[in-house]
Amino acid sequence: MSFSGFGGRGAGGRSAGKAAAGRGGAAGKEQGKRYFFRRRKVCKFCADKIDYIDYKDVKLISAFVPERGKVLPRRMFGTCAEHQRKLTLAIKRARHIALLPFAAE
Amino acid sequence: MSDRTYEILFIADPNLGEPEVDALAAQVQGFVEKEGGRISKLEKWGKKRLAYNVGKHREGSYVLLVAEGPGPLVKEVERRIRVTDGIIRFLTVRVDEELRKSERRKARRSAEDEKKKSRQASRGASIEAEGVRP
Repeated sequence: MSFSGFGGRGAGGRSAGKAAAGRGGAAGKEQGKRYFFRRRKVCKFCADKIDYIDYKDVKLISAFVPERGKVLPRRMFGTCAEHQRKLTLAIKRARHIALLPFAAE
Repeated sequence: MSDRTYEILFIADPNLGEPEVDALAAQVQGFVEKEGGRISKLEKWGKKRLAYNVGKHREGSYVLLVAEGPGPLVKEVERRIRVTDGIIRFLTVRVDEELRKSERRKARRSAEDEKKKSRQASRGASIEAEGVRP
C-alpha cells in the first residue's frame, strides 16, 4: 500500500513557511517551497467516471483497502464524499460475502 | 409495479462437486420462479478462497444469479436459501435503481460533452465571422 502524498500534508504548510521566513536565506526559501508543494488528489472514481462501485469487483475495491481490511478515511485516497459513501457500502457487502476480510488474521 | 432486479450471490460448500453446485443454482432458480420472478443471468465463478473462515470452510464455490421480480420475492427466497443445505453464505442486493442512476448519469455526461463540443464549434465560427467584419 502506498499512502505517499499524505505525510507532511498537515504538518508541512504553516510551520515550514514560518521557519523559512525566519531564516530568510535562499536555502530556507527553497525548503519552504518544497514543503508547500503537495500533489492534488483527485477522486479516482470521478476521474474514471465510475458511478456504481460494484462489491463484486474485488480488484477495484482492494486498491482502497489495506491488507488489514479496514475502511480508510477519505483523506488517504482523496475520494469525494459521494464515492466514499458508495465505496464503504461496497466494502461492507464484499466483506459479508467473504471477498474481503473483516480483520487481519 | 414494475419488477425489480436483484443480484443473488451465494457461496456453496466447496466439498460439493460441479453437478451438485449446478443443482443448487437450479434450486434457487426454482425459488425465484415460484415467487413470480425470473432469472436473467447465471454466473459461476468456481471455487475461490474465502477472505476468512465461514464456519469451518476455507474456500467456497461462488454462484451469481440475477433475478427479476416483485419485491416480496426476496423475503421468501432468502428464507428458502437459509434452510437449504450446502449454501454457506448468501447476499441479495437490489441493483436496478443504482444501475438506472448510473445510466442516467452516463447519458447526461455524454449530452454535456456534446453541448461543450457544439459550443466550442460555434465560438470558433463566431470568431471567424468577426474577423470577416470590417
